[in-house]
Amino acid sequence: MSTAIAQRTKPRVENSSPHATVLADHAPSKAFRRRATLLVIAAAFYSFTASYMHFDPLMLFTEFDHVVELADDMTPPNMALIWETPALFASMYATISMAFLGSLLGGVLALATSFFAAANVMPNAAVRHAMRLSMVFQRVTPTIIVLLVLQSIFGVGPFSGMVSIAIGTFGMFGKLFADAVEQVENGPLEAVTCVGASRSQMVRYAILPSVMPSFVANMFYAFDVNMRTAIGLGMFGGGGLGYELYKAGRTLNYQDQLALILVIVVAIALIERLSDKLRHRLIHNEDI
Amino acid sequence: MRYHPRKYRPLLAPGLVLGALIYAAALGCEVSFDRFWKGIEVGGDLLASFFPPAWGDLDDMLLPALETLLLAVIATPLAVVVSFFVALLAADNVRRGWVRNLARGLMSAERATPDIVVAFFFIAAFGIGPMAGIIALALGSIGMLGKLFADAMEEVDPRLLEAIECTGATRSQVLRYAILPVVLPSMIANSLFRFEINIRSAALLGMVGAGGIGYELSQAMALLEYPRGTVAIAVTLALVFLTERLAGQLRQRLIAREHLA
Repeated sequence: MSTAIAQRTKPRVENSSPHATVLADHAPSKAFRRRATLLVIAAAFYSFTASYMHFDPLMLFTEFDHVVELADDMTPPNMALIWETPALFASMYATISMAFLGSLLGGVLALATSFFAAANVMPNAAVRHAMRLSMVFQRVTPTIIVLLVLQSIFGVGPFSGMVSIAIGTFGMFGKLFADAVEQVENGPLEAVTCVGASRSQMVRYAILPSVMPSFVANMFYAFDVNMRTAIGLGMFGGGGLGYELYKAGRTLNYQDQLALILVIVVAIALIERLSDKLRHRLIHNEDI
Repeated sequence: MRYHPRKYRPLLAPGLVLGALIYAAALGCEVSFDRFWKGIEVGGDLLASFFPPAWGDLDDMLLPALETLLLAVIATPLAVVVSFFVALLAADNVRRGWVRNLARGLMSAERATPDIVVAFFFIAAFGIGPMAGIIALALGSIGMLGKLFADAMEEVDPRLLEAIECTGATRSQVLRYAILPVVLPSMIANSLFRFEINIRSAALLGMVGAGGIGYELSQAMALLEYPRGTVAIAVTLALVFLTERLAGQLRQRLIAREHLA
């Protein structure tokens, strides 16, 4: 540090090569050079992958007329569709049902399984590991794969969609709940065990009360996420609003499609609001 | 322990409501136990037809898997950069008034739109191919990342901003020296998290026409080549699992470094 200052204050004329001093003064620091190198490598890698995938960001601008054209085809949205087709309400009903029942079933399944995967409830390590493994496997499986397999078993329709959402929710929360159960404080556990409670009584009176609030909060979150999943799955034959959207797209009824998209967006926003309110009320005044 | 019926009485009304909701939802989903048991019976045979996996087809799957990975690799950084600038417009300590509200409104509308709908829109516009997939992934990420980045920026201690402003720093200098260092760790962590989501979405987008492993899977299922489908599923699982591990490790390293610094 001090040498750098000394160098800088040194009159330049005395130096045999003024350029050398200037360069030494203004040479980039080591950290800067390392960062710059990393940035260049990252940029080179990025452009290489982009060109490999034939992705040209400029195409977004040169081909933007396609987007404009499509937007033109879509407007004005055929809002009359909403009151002209009563079947739409049935579809909405199916989508909401799928999300609701799937979340609940999957969540309850996850909670029930989590006790068998938690070290403080399940003494048998083999069972615990088996449960954990099934959770990991479930977590990495995209819901759409589950749906494709289930559809060949249960047939096309909201039932397959609901079961895949339940399985997806199980994957989403199994590990989370198991960890929550394991993190229950030792105090209540010991207290309940001391009065001679059985294992199931321990679960009921020591563990359940402390994991219940997070369970309820997560259920609402799951429902929000699953509303979207239900629409996505609907497109692949799960029925409901997603399927209506898919049909409208396939038959090139873009104005109908935009109306459906608007319906979906508004429905999701409303449901999110509603579930937010409900969750606040539940968490603030209920202790189960 | 004795059973206390009175203790559970307050739960009766909510329980009945929940029961009614479940019943209504079951009607909506066309739940039938008949179908379920029949499905279980048929399902055993059907699942057996998925095995043994046709491992010989593994070679056909590796390149599509790479394409799916690259879809997320290209889309995520693009989304991160755009989200950063959108977040600047949406953070109330950087910009106030109608610009912020507009940016926030657009992002929350984007978040309310399921990603798959966005994907369908771009596939309809750009045609089948990686271009539509990348744009759809990037746009889907902006709604989430933009909001998270903006929230992180708004949480920056105002005293820190004042301290830098007092030295006569320009707006971009405030951004560089007060906001960026504070929000960078959470930005990186959230970007990695979104990358994990994007890998899954990329596999899904493949099924609607963005190519990659999703396309191979849907093709195999449509042609009833179940053993081939099993291989595609296994490759997808491996891809998702490995990238998740990698992202998790990177995140942990980042946190460790954060604590050292």
